Amino acid sequence: MKIKINRIELEASEGEFIIDVARRNDIEIPHFCFNKRLERIGACRICVVEVKGMSKLQASCCTPVMHGMEIETHSPRVLEARRMNMQLLLADHDLYCTLCKENLLCKLQKYASEMMIEDTPFEQLHRADPVDNSSVSIRRDNNKCILCEQCVRVCNDIQTVYAIGIANRGIDTRIIPNFCHTMKESSCINCGQCVVACPTGALTEKSDIPGVIDALNSDKYLIVQTAPSIRATLGELFGIPAGTAVTGKMVSALRQIGFNKVFDTNFGADICIVEEANEFVERVKGNKVLPMITTCCPAWIKFGEQFYYEELNKNMSTCRSPQGIVASLVKTYYAKKINKDPKDIILVDIMPCTAKKYEISRPELSGATDFVLTTVELAKLINQLNVDFINLPDSEFDNPLGVSTGAADIFGHTGGVMEAALRTAADQLSGQDLQAIDYSNIRGMDEIKEAEIEIAGKNLRICVVHTLGAARKLLDQIKSGKSPYHFIEIMACYGGCIGGGGQPPPNNKETLAKRTKALIHVDEQKTIRKSHKNPGVLALYEEYLGKPGSEKAHKLLHTHYSKKKYL
Amino acid sequence: MSSETKKDILINILKDIQRNYGYLPEEKIRKLSKKLDIPVTDIYSTATFYSMLNAEKKGKNIVRICNSPSCYLKGSLDILKETKKILNIDVGEITKGGKFSLELTSCIGCCDKAPAIMINEELTTDVTKGMLKKLLK
Amino acid sequence: MRILEKTDREAWRRAHELGPQKTIELLKERGLTGRGGACFLTGLKWEITRNTPADEKILICNADEGEPGTFKDKLILEENSETLIEGILIAAYCINAKHAYIYLRGEYHYLREKLKQTIKQLLKDVVSDLNIEIVEGAGSYICGDETAIISSIQNKRGYPHFKPPYPPSHGLFSKPTVINNVETLTNVPLAIIHEDWSDEFRLFSISGDVLKPGVHEFKIGTSLGQIAALVQAKNAKAVYFGASGGLIPFVPNFKVSQDHVCKEEAMLGACSLIFVSKNRSVLDLAINIAQFFTHESCGKCTPCREGNVHTLKLLEKIKEKKATEKDLLLLEKLSKMIRDTSLCGLGQSCTNHILTAMKHFPDDFR
Repeated sequence: MKIKINRIELEASEGEFIIDVARRNDIEIPHFCFNKRLERIGACRICVVEVKGMSKLQASCCTPVMHGMEIETHSPRVLEARRMNMQLLLADHDLYCTLCKENLLCKLQKYASEMMIEDTPFEQLHRADPVDNSSVSIRRDNNKCILCEQCVRVCNDIQTVYAIGIANRGIDTRIIPNFCHTMKESSCINCGQCVVACPTGALTEKSDIPGVIDALNSDKYLIVQTAPSIRATLGELFGIPAGTAVTGKMVSALRQIGFNKVFDTNFGADICIVEEANEFVERVKGNKVLPMITTCCPAWIKFGEQFYYEELNKNMSTCRSPQGIVASLVKTYYAKKINKDPKDIILVDIMPCTAKKYEISRPELSGATDFVLTTVELAKLINQLNVDFINLPDSEFDNPLGVSTGAADIFGHTGGVMEAALRTAADQLSGQDLQAIDYSNIRGMDEIKEAEIEIAGKNLRICVVHTLGAARKLLDQIKSGKSPYHFIEIMACYGGCIGGGGQPPPNNKETLAKRTKALIHVDEQKTIRKSHKNPGVLALYEEYLGKPGSEKAHKLLHTHYSKKKYL
Repeated sequence: MSSETKKDILINILKDIQRNYGYLPEEKIRKLSKKLDIPVTDIYSTATFYSMLNAEKKGKNIVRICNSPSCYLKGSLDILKETKKILNIDVGEITKGGKFSLELTSCIGCCDKAPAIMINEELTTDVTKGMLKKLLK
Repeated sequence: MRILEKTDREAWRRAHELGPQKTIELLKERGLTGRGGACFLTGLKWEITRNTPADEKILICNADEGEPGTFKDKLILEENSETLIEGILIAAYCINAKHAYIYLRGEYHYLREKLKQTIKQLLKDVVSDLNIEIVEGAGSYICGDETAIISSIQNKRGYPHFKPPYPPSHGLFSKPTVINNVETLTNVPLAIIHEDWSDEFRLFSISGDVLKPGVHEFKIGTSLGQIAALVQAKNAKAVYFGASGGLIPFVPNFKVSQDHVCKEEAMLGACSLIFVSKNRSVLDLAINIAQFFTHESCGKCTPCREGNVHTLKLLEKIKEKKATEKDLLLLEKLSKMIRDTSLCGLGQSCTNHILTAMKHFPDDFR
């Protein structure tokens, strides 16, 4: 059908809403509560537009298009209404922007600036709600909340965690954990998707930059490791287009900042595959508990421990996450190698997610990592220390924990861990060096992807899932004894780690697809693409660990889980 | 009946709990959550929306004085003043010993017999200052 | 009053003789419109639901009468619940619903037992497998709104939902749902039985500065003067149409009808008249009603949640004689913006009382 927006005739289809057609045609309508992946609620009323024939202004996010509709998105009447609603929001907001984490990144600021709002004629309401600093990953400041409800919809509808909800009514409405408990006591799994969704500084990641700066200024030996997905997203924070891997510059920047050694979490990913594939093959051959579920995602682990512990803890792979593996090796194997007391080494992990800040504090992981910085925090640190990122030359990771195969790079996107694991498991089960190693049918943005693979006469059914709401379907299936799968990969964040809580927004489908492509490209460019062929890994086993699944490997590279309580 | 129309009506259940305990105790809500398979956060979110459901302890008897236009025109503020005097508390407070708490409420549908008040779920109409002492024993 | 007439289930029998389609046609002919404030043709609403393909249809009786100054449904629930239930049975029959809900406001809890008994008795007397469930409200004005009732029955907060989709095609549990007011449903049997039944007779809830407040049946178009005489209004200055309808100055020959009231930029709504006498300041009433809306706003959308707090503050500032011309202009602009951009009927009508009061009685605001 044909409609007109701002007097321009445009094509529209039945079922579309005004804002969808507008955005498709590069007409930007300001909005807070609208998010393509979430249920439309029409709450903020900032996206209102004028529709010919309708006496009141209409929210463009939830008004369906009709044949012949004539819409004005920036008429004087619309601008005045939008402006006044903005002023109402500002009157109920902590306006101390200079000291806010979200300063210069905040959407409320952006619109206030674009709409040239320099005052609000309304009295400031001064909420004075206490700030919730209890969580190690996420900071909640309700004095900055504009009640766009994105965080609630993500936490409840997408992740099905229900850590936060809307309470009270009218001007007393607040988004809080039930019965006003703290974030730490709640069922929050630290995935940080609420942080990514929040347009203001109401939800931000807990900052570890001060601790890292102190460490950099101390006399300790500083080591850093970077997760697989960071190289595909860090560039965006310096104006480099999405989909460009900036591995070399990232390593150079970290050296320039002052780290003595720059290791690659990918090395840990290769070890993770070796151990996990070994564990999987043992389960298959020994008819032990199946399906096996990957456990590199600490948000998913907490989710499993909270909601499915009794039924599923035996299905969860005991292997640590790649960062856990490298951290463990740094403070034992490497410390010994360079003759240093582990207490004199400070290890910083650059991670895509806020949940890693929680993971390193798990008692089961013996506190090997000292700090976690997210991608966004690393960019801030690079800027703060005046490093000219864009013009840095490329450099390589340090050895012995720096070399990695293509299988490790793809850990960063959904389906990557599974693909990497299959490359090794297939060789192990068949006893051959298989050449077909691209499992492209488990790539892509569908929330649940399944495949059936024949290896050495065995029919293996695998499933890859991202977002925990989708994962619940599989977990309930396992709980009821009806799961048809042998191997399942679960990532809490949409898109996998490239869409993590610590990554630069936006994490919409288009950007995530570009980031995925970057990682796949890195993989394809490498000569060694199977984890068990990583020469550094092979050397490490020979020198130190013995065999996959050995007693030493178990002690250093595996972990266990326990029931986690929540309110 | 579809599976949805068979569902338990949460608001009815919450009102029963409110009737029995005077408010919605946290442990009862957690038990209810397990029974109905509804997350506690959802139940808390729903409960705190409604004026007649309280997640925090109130007085054993919740006194609600209607202050909508019709009752206002017939002297609701005088009734409020007298009630505050008798109970010795302000709106939003609980008496020592916890017997009464005081609130203002929106129209309770007794506009032709104004002013009207509600104590727990009982409506009293044509309220005069003289009646209050007896009502608030 | 005809509304209190007992029918001895005569309408139920007639509806069965006619069949659902002809009953709907009859009601359309009689011109029965909704008495909840929207005045939509009831037969047409039923027809839309009946004709929407779905495995299940649902009927909801809206007994969440919460508009200040409204108590007509209470009268029906107290004294003629039999005819109401008969109306519910006929409605369900016509739209082919097997399940009906009565959303009874929490403040009318004392009527619940009696209502249950009436339902039990009626279902015994007639042959119907209709399941009627009573849902009790818990103190929320917004739950009188159609989509908010749906949220509430779906165990959620009483948040309204944007329309479309409209409940008759996509309502409770996503099924086609008819939501009818108590008075509307009670009129269904009466309209079926009586050839001379007229949609023009409605229940008026009258209160405020009058000596004989109560529920009265008037013909639409009756003059204010006639009404005032009957209820013995003392020295009337203005008449409020509930809290959301705004006010009109008391003019004896003003004919009370939708069109006339709309011309004055007010809303007749559920026909609730609150009389205010000459010794009152409408500013005081404006503050009182603004307090009401601030308390009852659900909080979902920005203009209503935040805007109502500030209209109240501005009104209080005017009362304290601290307001400037700028403040008065701001109050007017804010009131219009809330009306223009709010999500639901509450927000869209919550400032009518301010705009009409400022227009007709500007001196009270100085």
